[in-house]
Amino acid sequence: MNVVVCVKQIPDPAAPQALDPQTHNLVREGKLILDDSDSYGVEMALQLAEQAGGGEVTIVSMAPNGETSGLRTALAMGAAKAILISDEALRGSDALSTAKVLAKAIERVSPDLVLAATESTDGYTGTTPVQVAELLGLPSITFAKKVSIAGGKVTVERQTEAGYDEVECPLPAVVTVTAGVVEPRYPSFKGIMAAKSKPVDQLTVADLGLEGQVGSAGARQAITDVADADTRQSGEIVVDEGDAHERVVQFLEQLKLV
Amino acid sequence: MFEWSETQEAVRDAVRKFVEAEVKPKVDELEHGDLPPYDIIRKIYSTFGMDQMARESFKRALERKVSGEAPADRSEARGDGGAAGMTLIPIIELCHYCPGIVTAMGVSIGLTAGTVMKRGTPAQMERWGLDLLTLEKIGAWAITEPGSGSDALGGMKSSARRDGDEYILNGNKTFITNGPYADTIVFYAKLDDGSDTPVRDRQVLTFVLDRGMEGLEQSEPFRKMGLHSSPTGEIFLSDVRVGRDRLLGETEEETGGGGRESAKDNFVTERAGVAAMSLGLIEECLSLSVAYARDRELWGKPIADFQLIQLKLARMEVARLNVQNLVFRHIEMMAAGKTLTLAEASAMKLYSAQAASEVAMDAVQLFGGNGYMAEFRVEQLARDAKVFQIYAGTDEIQVTHIARDLLSRPS
Ligand SMILES: Cc1cc2nc3c(=O)[nH]c(=O)nc-3n(C[C@@H](O)[C@H](O)[C@H](O)COP(=O)(O)OP(=O)(O)OC[C@H]3O[C@@H](n4cnc5c(N)ncnc54)[C@H](O)[C@@H]3O)c2cc1C
Ligand SMILES: Cc1cc2nc3c(=O)[nH]c(=O)nc-3n(C[C@H](O)[C@H](O)[C@H](O)COP(=O)(O)OP(=O)(O)OC[C@H]3O[C@@H](n4cnc5c(N)ncnc54)[C@H](O)[C@@H]3O)c2cc1C
Repeated sequence: MNVVVCVKQIPDPAAPQALDPQTHNLVREGKLILDDSDSYGVEMALQLAEQAGGGEVTIVSMAPNGETSGLRTALAMGAAKAILISDEALRGSDALSTAKVLAKAIERVSPDLVLAATESTDGYTGTTPVQVAELLGLPSITFAKKVSIAGGKVTVERQTEAGYDEVECPLPAVVTVTAGVVEPRYPSFKGIMAAKSKPVDQLTVADLGLEGQVGSAGARQAITDVADADTRQSGEIVVDEGDAHERVVQFLEQLKLV
Repeated sequence: MFEWSETQEAVRDAVRKFVEAEVKPKVDELEHGDLPPYDIIRKIYSTFGMDQMARESFKRALERKVSGEAPADRSEARGDGGAAGMTLIPIIELCHYCPGIVTAMGVSIGLTAGTVMKRGTPAQMERWGLDLLTLEKIGAWAITEPGSGSDALGGMKSSARRDGDEYILNGNKTFITNGPYADTIVFYAKLDDGSDTPVRDRQVLTFVLDRGMEGLEQSEPFRKMGLHSSPTGEIFLSDVRVGRDRLLGETEEETGGGGRESAKDNFVTERAGVAAMSLGLIEECLSLSVAYARDRELWGKPIADFQLIQLKLARMEVARLNVQNLVFRHIEMMAAGKTLTLAEASAMKLYSAQAASEVAMDAVQLFGGNGYMAEFRVEQLARDAKVFQIYAGTDEIQVTHIARDLLSRPS
């Protein structure tokens, strides 16, 4: 059972963030870390491989400046190897570009299963994994809260507003997992030491045969403007002069809530 | 080394995450004596695979002892200061919140298991060493007595009277970390062979005792100024009968140094450990103080604008840098297979312990009334820091060790 986990390496959410005034992109110059949302996918993959009694977990990530810190965390948790796509030409990538890059990299591994998070912490479009599935021609299931593998099929409890649906599809497939599905393990000290020498395959856009199709060259969207969110309007204060209940009802009727 | 390596940083980040998720929420319970620290220490060990590592290093140590090989060069297993970092980083991180956990852990593993492993026969290593190293059993290391602390070896009154092939042990030990809960106790006593050698000059023997032995009593934890998460107590022995199998090394012969040397084995490690503890505590006080100075407004501006506050912050930063440099130097030396001399270790401990106390007290001052309140945490750190100047050799004793070394050099 070979599993690929797509992980995004993001600026530490606890550190102060800034947008580049020219490109409006998030500044990603400092050290990047493993997106917490993706630690669930890594844990799930490790558990599935363990349950299947063998197979490898491969990490795939696209990130600027050859960044590997977040990958090392996933490798320290127990993944066997990683593929990193890092290239100046990827600057300005939108979600579709990202998906193209990830799909090409995943093809090289031909895994039985691809895991990703439902959405990233910093960009949170939640669109990348399904685009990856489409590009690879694979079925996809989103919002998984439980994943099991048997008889060449993946069965998923898919989170809904009311509870969950049980869905299944044949392997290989792309599955996105929600936060909290499993308890991500802490990397052991030995794991951290071992991660140093695990293989990280660094690829460029040219290696994937995607020149001119990704990055700003391939972007179909552009950020034209960034504006501060409106400051919240102060609410209306109702002083009760015996008619407060009527005024509250009027207010709710106005909003068509009653 | 002037900063942590990438690997050490990864270790630090992982431990920091654990401490924030697992220790921070329990500090109140730990500090009010409702929760002994041992399950948390065990969880740290299993989470980071330290128990597995301990099993492996136990196996290697046992094989070496059996084959009579010299202990491995310290640098062997260490890589880029790896192993030294691996031990010190958790100490530093835990001391951001709870120095008591570190004391309880350090005494059980470093002192108790360390002594059994270094001084025990292979049979004794197997009997007690492994369980202590993996925290299956909690250890205490008992040398201090009501009548002798700084003068522990000379003033020691606990006695081991020969009785045929056995010994009868008597004596009281006090201020013993883990004393109330320990399963295994390393106990130091003076040999009473019936001769009229003055007690002060008698040979010191080292024994291993188990909880529940006849004549052995372990007290309740003391109430104390701080370090509440580390239980401290007394141990009373009245006519505890032990065989030679409980005498470490199973011989009175002092090859490789006897009990006196055994007690000193730990000086360097222990003192370097206190420096690492000081670093964690200072880092925490400094970051809490900077945040508070920015936040607290008086006369319409943050107190960070006042120069007397800035002076406190600057002094804390100076202390942090100095202690960090000392800790880094120790790690570098370990990686190079070298050990601090006793005088160097003493200087490191003396400076770090004083720095930690001063920084923590300055932090209390900087926080004003809030500094005196438990909610703001610096008061706990200040109470905890004080003990760094007392245990593992008081400030005054460190001074005497440094001076003795300086003055013993050829002029
Ligand atoms: C118009 C537009 C312009 C943009 N321009 C830039 C730009 O110039 N530079 C820039 O750096 N970013 C840019 N971005 C951000 C962008 O590239 C996103 O990071 C990427 O599209 C993924 O989207 P997301 O973060 O919303 O991921 P989501 O779809 O929310 O992520 C879901 C999951 O997909 C996987 N995944 C997502 N991204 C990656 C990745 N990079 N590697 C591995 N797995 C991943 C992870 O498992 C993740 O948890 C732009 C986005 C938009 C919409
Ligand atoms: C929380 C805690 C945990 C401890 N855990 C352990 C443990 O696990 N095992 C154990 O065996 N012990 C333990 N101790 C004991 C500790 O090591 C002693 O308290 C310490 O060595 C000091 O001894 P003392 O308390 O007898 O003080 P004393 O030796 O009585 O010292 C009194 C004062 O005299 C000063 N002084 C002593 N000699 C000189 C000198 N030559 N010149 C100038 N001044 C001098 C001292 O510095 C001190 O200020 C612990 C203590 C504490 C507080």
